[in-house]
Amino acid sequence: MRLSQILALGTVSGAALLLLTACGAQNNRHLARSQTLHWVESADLPTMDPSKSTDVVSGDALHNVDEGLLRIGQGSRLRPGVAKSYRVSKDGKTWTFDLRHSKWSNGSPVTAADFVYGWRRTVKPSTASQFAYLYDHVKNYATINKGKRAPAKLGVKAHGPYQLVVTLSRPQSYFKYLVASQAFLPQNRQVVEKYGSKFATNSRDAVYNGPFRLTGWQGTNDDWTLKKNRQYWDAGQTKLQAVKVQVIKDQGTWLSQYQSGKVDELMTDGTQYRQLKNSPEMHIRDSASMFYLEFNQRQGFFKNNVDARKAIALAINKPSLTQNILADGSQAPKGLVPTRLAKKGSTDFADDAYVKSGTTYNLRQARRLWKKALRRSGRSSITLNLLADDTPGGKKTVEFIQSQMAKLPGLRLTTTNVPFNVRLNRSTTGDFNMVVSAWIADFPDAVSFSSLFTSHNAYNRGHWQNKDYDADVKNAEGKDANDPDARWHDLVSAEKTLMQQQGVVPLYQRNQAQMLKPYVHGVQYFPTGAQWDFSRAYISDHQ
Amino acid sequence: MAKYLLKRIFYLLLTLFIVITVTFFLMKLLPGTPLQNQQKLSPSEQHLILKQYGLTKPIWQQYLTYVGGVLHGNFGTSFQFSDQPVSYLISSRIGPSLLLGTQAMILGVVPGILVGALGAIKKNTWVDTTTTIVSILGISIPSFVLAVLLQYFIGLKLHLLPIADWGGFAYTVLPTIALAASPFADTARFTRTEMVDVLNSDYIELARAKGLSKWGVIYHHALRNSLIPVVTIIGPLAVNIMTGSMVIENIFSIPGIGEQFVKSILTNDYPTIMAVTIVYSVMLMVVLLITDIVYGIIDPRIRISGKSN
Repeated sequence: MRLSQILALGTVSGAALLLLTACGAQNNRHLARSQTLHWVESADLPTMDPSKSTDVVSGDALHNVDEGLLRIGQGSRLRPGVAKSYRVSKDGKTWTFDLRHSKWSNGSPVTAADFVYGWRRTVKPSTASQFAYLYDHVKNYATINKGKRAPAKLGVKAHGPYQLVVTLSRPQSYFKYLVASQAFLPQNRQVVEKYGSKFATNSRDAVYNGPFRLTGWQGTNDDWTLKKNRQYWDAGQTKLQAVKVQVIKDQGTWLSQYQSGKVDELMTDGTQYRQLKNSPEMHIRDSASMFYLEFNQRQGFFKNNVDARKAIALAINKPSLTQNILADGSQAPKGLVPTRLAKKGSTDFADDAYVKSGTTYNLRQARRLWKKALRRSGRSSITLNLLADDTPGGKKTVEFIQSQMAKLPGLRLTTTNVPFNVRLNRSTTGDFNMVVSAWIADFPDAVSFSSLFTSHNAYNRGHWQNKDYDADVKNAEGKDANDPDARWHDLVSAEKTLMQQQGVVPLYQRNQAQMLKPYVHGVQYFPTGAQWDFSRAYISDHQ
Repeated sequence: MAKYLLKRIFYLLLTLFIVITVTFFLMKLLPGTPLQNQQKLSPSEQHLILKQYGLTKPIWQQYLTYVGGVLHGNFGTSFQFSDQPVSYLISSRIGPSLLLGTQAMILGVVPGILVGALGAIKKNTWVDTTTTIVSILGISIPSFVLAVLLQYFIGLKLHLLPIADWGGFAYTVLPTIALAASPFADTARFTRTEMVDVLNSDYIELARAKGLSKWGVIYHHALRNSLIPVVTIIGPLAVNIMTGSMVIENIFSIPGIGEQFVKSILTNDYPTIMAVTIVYSVMLMVVLLITDIVYGIIDPRIRISGKSN
């Protein structure tokens, strides 16, 4: 980004609008009379407070009833939200957003002050937000969150009602994705203060500025409706009149409801996926979550032992794990960064950074490397332990890896499945030989994964260390933060190093398999953050 | 009677106190936290959140705070629903559970008694065999299997009733049947056995000898006397329905407390688990108390009084 680059999002959206209207006119003939979508969530809606939302259900609801500065769209591309346009200063630290004139569902205007208020509220310690850490690049975040500085010192200011200026403590190229997430939504001060501790604990004690507004939620009941918000600035584009959401916790019931046409979608479990996978209604939704194997390299066998790490990686048949063992729509990984998470033009990061030896299966080579590794360490055999979660997926994974490891001469692999908390504790303190870890990206950028394995990152449980890797990630986060091409190159290079050195072994990319009725169109899915966007969805005629 | 009642209520409160204490400390042994995003939070951020929930204090202090709160009707704040008092969570969800439980109890016990009595009266005929087979099926098919069968055949294939969800009488029919099956079978078996005994007893012979009509004998002498043991099993039946409702509410997507209980356990939401446990205990103890009182009404011999003391 050279100088204050102005992204003329407004113009782009104008053109897109024309295009869509043209399509709309054509589609209208096929629109069903009732534009009501019947959606399902598998858990209750716990809150509608943007500062307190941590789960996908409230994430989905907030994403559709509220709108931040930018809005995430198909293929994780950003489109204008409350901000018509924005510009970034040369040093990448000052972001200026120009806001449009838009309204809350109670008719009051959405202003820059609403963003300032909402952001400060999320960060201040008494709110105890579990997503406040996403603000860590915003000036003074850390001291405010620890209670050492007043929330008013946060690096965000309103210049008049329709301009918002954000100051970062260091450049963050993906800040644009963060401002589209629910932790960065605007909050109407009058409403928040009027309802106090009841704010957003039911659909009436809240106010909305997105394509829909929430109705029929009393705080604990398990159905609610998103109704079209006529006050929304882009309401002309919203075709759905309502999205009726129902909570179904039993997979069998969900399937029956789907088959009887009472609901329009079904997230399948493993058994259902196997039965239904050839149906034309089946869609695989990639999520940005990766399961991977970490080696304890603090001391002991794996330290500086790239042959041993590679041997283990090569001996695990990942396609067999995903297709035969998990069989739930998950896919074999191409690298640590999931496919379809980050793109440059039409190039997928995972393709660009692909290292064949990092994820492939080759038993002969694995044996050769393993023998070499054993010889070098002066042993004829070794017993290692594999740690993982006690979830069904965790158990299946370790059993599979154990069976694969039996083919490496002189290796005896024992396994331990423990609850999530215990696994985290033991990983952090280094009490393991190998551990199955998982990570979900918060935003669609490769660095959400790459930053994990720098030498001193707390999530680098195995203490894998590599100077080139550290330098690449440091450049991407610092010197090249404002140069998209150089930054992309840094991260690709880092990922290649990680795979060539086999710092970790990617095991599988967790996907979700969804059945969707053929008359439902335009529902957008996102691999990170909130999952669904209904603002462009519609129901075609199917009677 | 009043003295007896007071004594019973005192024991009830004592039991409740023990239940609260034991549940509290058992919950503390479980690895649950209100942290939803633990992996990504720094230790200081984690501490901040735990402090908001009062979880950084010593356990005995948390216990006293909790018991103090319960005495004032404050069950704390749910971990899953932010800012939602647990008392509101339960009061807004108890309606469907009570409705289903009551319906299932009535649907189970009343026809159970009739069918059991019929079996005993028509002993060793095809009527008896049929009712026995039905009640054995009722006992041996678990409620969740019956629930799925009902959903599949009556809901999905025949479109007679809704498969799941909540919103009017039609939605309660299938879950009520699923819940009522086992109490029905239990009551029917019990009534039959008792009635067969009673029908063979001397006073029935006497009543018949006095020339009372067949149905008069059955209604006035046989049925009433057979009902005493049946009242005994109402307590266990209520427990049966409560535990059954956890599964049934989940399967039929009913917004009740049973369904909430399961969710709370899965998410380690212990303020809610504690409160639901207390509610279940109270319901059970009240049912047992009522059973004891009803006992006295049906059979004066059982009535406990202070006279003998």
